[in-house]
Amino acid sequence: MMWLIARREFRTRTFSKANLITSSIMLVLIVGGALILKPLISGGDGEPQPVEVSAETAALVPYLEAAATALEGNYEFVEVENPDETMVSEETAGLIVGQPTSPEVVLEGDDQSLVAVVTAAAQAAVLDSQVSELGGDPVEVSTAIAQATPTVTIVGEDKGADTGSYFAGLVVILVLFTVLIQSASVIMMGVVEEKSSRVVEILLATVRPTTLLGGKVLGVGLYALVQAVTLVVPLVFAAVYLDFIGELEIGLGALLVNFGVWFLLGFALFAMFFGGLAALVSRQEDLGAVTTPMMLLMLVPLYLAIYLVPNSPDGTVTMVLTQVPFFAPFMVPMRSAFGTIEPWEIALALTLCVLTIPLLTWLAGRVYAGAVLNTGGRMKLRDALRQG
Amino acid sequence: MSVLEIESLVKSYGDVRALDGVSFAVAAGELFGFVGSNGAGKTTTMRIILGVLRADAGEVSWNGAPVDRDLRRRIGYMPEERGLYPRMKVGEQLVYLARLHGLTEPAAAAAMEHWTEVLGVAQRRDDAVEKLSLGNQQRVQLASALVHGPEILVLDEPFSGLDPVAVAVMSDVLRAQADAGVPVVFSSHQLELVERLCDRVGIVKAGRMVVNGTIDDLRATDTQRWSVKFADAVAPPAASPPGAVVEPADDGGWVVEAADAQAAQAALAIAAQSGTVVQFAPIRPSLTDLYRDVVTSEEQEEVVPG
Repeated sequence: MMWLIARREFRTRTFSKANLITSSIMLVLIVGGALILKPLISGGDGEPQPVEVSAETAALVPYLEAAATALEGNYEFVEVENPDETMVSEETAGLIVGQPTSPEVVLEGDDQSLVAVVTAAAQAAVLDSQVSELGGDPVEVSTAIAQATPTVTIVGEDKGADTGSYFAGLVVILVLFTVLIQSASVIMMGVVEEKSSRVVEILLATVRPTTLLGGKVLGVGLYALVQAVTLVVPLVFAAVYLDFIGELEIGLGALLVNFGVWFLLGFALFAMFFGGLAALVSRQEDLGAVTTPMMLLMLVPLYLAIYLVPNSPDGTVTMVLTQVPFFAPFMVPMRSAFGTIEPWEIALALTLCVLTIPLLTWLAGRVYAGAVLNTGGRMKLRDALRQG
Repeated sequence: MSVLEIESLVKSYGDVRALDGVSFAVAAGELFGFVGSNGAGKTTTMRIILGVLRADAGEVSWNGAPVDRDLRRRIGYMPEERGLYPRMKVGEQLVYLARLHGLTEPAAAAAMEHWTEVLGVAQRRDDAVEKLSLGNQQRVQLASALVHGPEILVLDEPFSGLDPVAVAVMSDVLRAQADAGVPVVFSSHQLELVERLCDRVGIVKAGRMVVNGTIDDLRATDTQRWSVKFADAVAPPAASPPGAVVEPADDGGWVVEAADAQAAQAALAIAAQSGTVVQFAPIRPSLTDLYRDVVTSEEQEEVVPG
């Protein structure tokens, strides 16, 4: 029975024209954005640019290749006999002539990265020849240089607050917030639609109010999940494709698990809550009176998570709010991203949320049952509870 | 025989007592017309039967057992305020509602096809409900009450807003349902229709069932009245025959109130002597007259302080 209701909700929402259009636009924007951004960010991946090297400079090529790899320049070095030193051949990035230890670079424009590669290569070549002249082993020297890096240990409060984890946590709770707000308003509109079209009277003659509300929440939940997936999958694709994950050192798996778990819990909490309250009004026009304060209320945990966690990851307020059910869906993922949350805190927050859900379902079902047949003006919460 | 029994329902909204002990019973195969002025408690009674509202006191039972949720799924209901999903297609919607009432997918589809055919909205199956005219929406609404093959039908003003053809279709459907053994309860303000269609009628007034009986019972009166019509206007006789009172009627004829058949015959004999009698017929109060009597008598009681 509940499944029938859920299926109808899911189908009408997911296959509505408006939704299909919005989703495809989002998809195109994110994927397209990533595709367009990629060359701008990485400076042209794809085919390596050929660079001509004259025969007299050929000894420099191994050094050039090593330097290009180290500096992430994507060049291919091609040997040519007696090149024209006054011009750069078509489709090539530049021309290198002269002695390996003092090469000359001929460029069409000001290609700083190629100059840097050649400089590094020439310096390495000079270093090698000097080391050889002094009777040393160039390989040994390079190995020693490579190992001479400092080991960094950060002591103090600053340990978690790096941009990478902040960014990751922010993305998770923002996506969560967007999806929750969206599905909450869909549920509320659905409840009011049934109420204002009075179809609810036929439905309630066959199903219990709680079954109806439950089916609605389930159906819209599945719809929201599809929404979230259409939002998250391209985002993950974009992040992987643009190599944000590697650069910011974000654990993608943990991030997704975090999102998944708190999506489900947060959804159950907020959707039930909003669904019950929506039954208080009879017309779409009156919905604003109920939704606006609730949207504002939802902003509170979001902002607290965004501002409180980076500034005071282990503070008492942060720790207490983590355990409050309506705050947890935002606080826990953010703190997890920062790595400043203890496993027992996560476990406790999860338990509290899971325990709150049946209580809230009962309460919301009661408000819904009491208010859903009331027509006319807005109903008082207390009256709805009494009649439910 | 199966009986739907409604026993002393009481329901208050705040200080307003909407139902004050409404009781009646509808047997299987019976068409029960439920009439009463606005706010008398018809809709509240029907909502309580369907479990959409909870009664403060009283009980609804079917075959002696209280009506529970399981049975309610087998009731066909048409609420006073029509309700369907405006943007859902007619066919899809009826199948969905039938399935909510427990039908399997193929059975629901077959029932939807049958009822859209019978009610004349078959060609609108793929249209959204909101695109239909109000009359057609009402047909779909009735289809939604019938689509799951209900054991009991409860319809709140099924005839309001229908054209004469639709009224005829709807009457036939209700009659057929009753003949098939379904108890049918419906409310209406169209009293002639109720009189023609129903086996029994109940009149509610201020939360009470004040009159309840078959049409014939209700129309039977203590003293039989007869109407006498003449070819030309004739004044009533100076002296009435024993056991009868003769009074002039508006159309130039007479109204005879006779205690028994003998007195009526005596009055007819006098009439035949007085002029050319073209009609001599018993006067039976219509439901409209009865209804008016009930409503006004109650109001008079209210006016006169006890």
